[in-house]
Amino acid sequence: DQVFRINVRNGDEISKLSQLVNSNNLKLNVWKSPSTFSRPVDVLVPSVSLQPVKSFLTSQGLEYEVTIEDLQALLDNEDEEMQQNEGQERSSNNFNYGAYHSLEAIYHEMDNIASDFPDLASRVKIGHSFENRPMYVLKFSTEEGVRRPAIWLNAGIHSREWISQATAIWTARKIASDYQRDPAITSILEKMDIFLLPVANPDGYVYTQTQNRLWRKTRSLNPGSPCVGADPNRNWNASFAGKGASDNPCSEVYHGPHANSEVEVKSVVDFIQKHGNFKCFIDLHSYSQLLMYPYGYTAKKAPDAEELDKLARRAAKALASVSGTEYQVGPTSTTVYPASGSSIDWAYDNGIKFAFTFELRDTGTYGFLLPANQIIPTAEETWLGLKTIMEHVRHNLY
Amino acid sequence: MQPRRPPPPIPGSGPWGPRPVAPLIALLLLLAPVVAAAESESAEHPGQPQDAGLQRRLLQQAARAALHFFNFRAGSPSALRVLAQVQKGRAWINPKEGYKVDVVFSTERYNPESLLQEGEEHLGKCSARVFFKNQKPRPAVNVTCTRFIEKKKRQQEDYLLYKQMKQLKNPLEIVSIPDNHGHIDPSLRPIWDLAFLGSSYVMWEMTTQFSRYYLVQLTSVRQWKTNDDTIDFDYTVLLHELSTQEIIPCRIHLVWYPGKPLKVKYHCQELQTPEEASGTEEGSAVAPTELSNF
Repeated sequence: DQVFRINVRNGDEISKLSQLVNSNNLKLNVWKSPSTFSRPVDVLVPSVSLQPVKSFLTSQGLEYEVTIEDLQALLDNEDEEMQQNEGQERSSNNFNYGAYHSLEAIYHEMDNIASDFPDLASRVKIGHSFENRPMYVLKFSTEEGVRRPAIWLNAGIHSREWISQATAIWTARKIASDYQRDPAITSILEKMDIFLLPVANPDGYVYTQTQNRLWRKTRSLNPGSPCVGADPNRNWNASFAGKGASDNPCSEVYHGPHANSEVEVKSVVDFIQKHGNFKCFIDLHSYSQLLMYPYGYTAKKAPDAEELDKLARRAAKALASVSGTEYQVGPTSTTVYPASGSSIDWAYDNGIKFAFTFELRDTGTYGFLLPANQIIPTAEETWLGLKTIMEHVRHNLY
Repeated sequence: MQPRRPPPPIPGSGPWGPRPVAPLIALLLLLAPVVAAAESESAEHPGQPQDAGLQRRLLQQAARAALHFFNFRAGSPSALRVLAQVQKGRAWINPKEGYKVDVVFSTERYNPESLLQEGEEHLGKCSARVFFKNQKPRPAVNVTCTRFIEKKKRQQEDYLLYKQMKQLKNPLEIVSIPDNHGHIDPSLRPIWDLAFLGSSYVMWEMTTQFSRYYLVQLTSVRQWKTNDDTIDFDYTVLLHELSTQEIIPCRIHLVWYPGKPLKVKYHCQELQTPEEASGTEEGSAVAPTELSNF
């Protein structure tokens, strides 16, 4: 089977082509039909019809080229590759933490972690995305039935920041494996629960894998605008529509029509508010190597700025101790830029004192396109930073 | 590492004469010529994390602009530098005219595959004076750097790159560099380095005191001609602007030969704004003047 790309230049040629396509015995299949004259038509031609079709096109003076010479081979190849990847991942149950994965694979691994550590971890659905994909968190808890003080780890809210989702799923496995092995995490889990959301923007993530690697926002539709999506980290109810956000749907920092308009954001807000006992909220982003605390929506100092600053510096130091990766520390608005409607500002203003944003590796050499061989080094160093913060929270419960 | 602090300047005696009454905006940022300490510490400014942060950002902006300009003027794809650390500096703000920044910074070799070469100077040091005209493009840059690589060695490496590029099979088939997973095929590195060199010119011109650009990806090659005395390269890259988070496609056309000044033309497009905003800038390197100490 081959795919022919046929140039139709006028109405006459279109009717000749329709004649060909409509003849039943050739069994042709139009893949892409023309909307205007100057666009080509893609037609799937089964191998048995190759000769007659070629003769017809030539005799009618229709220009064409063969764009896919062997469709079956192409499909077989793709199948093989995908199967190989999935096989590797499922057969040995060895999820390759040093690689980037599909949404499906991440969700599957979350499920695996929950079944590998049934007394500690469970996968919980907290809502769904605009395109109706599930939003899953992993809940780590050593005592059920009690609403313990809790930590929220947020990742992947900006879909193109792939190191965020990748670090999150590594961290999930780390928390589970190190419980009852590492005194620090064990002590934390003895008093607190940890909720980890590795993909806070599932629609965006899928879009970066299938259509546009650099997509940032959600995929919600904006009535009256050709532009899609809102910036989920400008959509929280913290000085919503203030500085550092845009009211233009085409902007990368469009805040959305109103606070919590993005269902992905609302799902998290509702969950945290209903729970009512969160003490810490950490949001993972990339890139720039920064560790920041509120506020983004104002240059005014947060009441706890000094304590948060000190803690952040300790965390950055712990992080740097692994591979020497240097992070800058400070409040969001002056460390990176003013930004209203952000997750950690909302968390902080809603009583969650320990609110931090990590901008992970690197500082611009690869930026969003961080090579997979940096996933594990990034996750390992970030882990020390996270632990420093979580330990402090554990010993300073309020 | 303790920062070195030069003596504080005498207020009001900057080259722009007595300080005008600063409007509110300028007051929020900087009040007078301020001395900045090195990035890594904060013990010196315990009560002013905000001032220190803003100061640091301004110095970084200036360092970046200076480095883009430096890379462009050097015209050497094998000797590209990136910012390592801002060490010290000071800034003057004139609300009517713009920002003037003096900055000293260290650099390291641009090498995405990050393998340190043997016996190579890892860090180089630069000092620059950068003038950002109120949000207008083309910051004026005066930059001096210590010698990183011996001139002869650099010329040899450039010529090697040139030869590699001439032997490339068919760069017109390239889809993206790096690929979506951040990987650059070693055989395609020379193309990437040359693309980065051309992009440096664009990024220098577009950097202001507020906006900074990073090169994300080479997304297409329209033309790749290697004649005996030039490489003619017409390509599209994606730039990332940090404060707006926008991805900006830029079409760049450059002409290069080892040792000769780089010629660049470009056209960048901002897709996401409702207005038909497209910047058209043409720039070409002038004949090599006193290029600061190589």
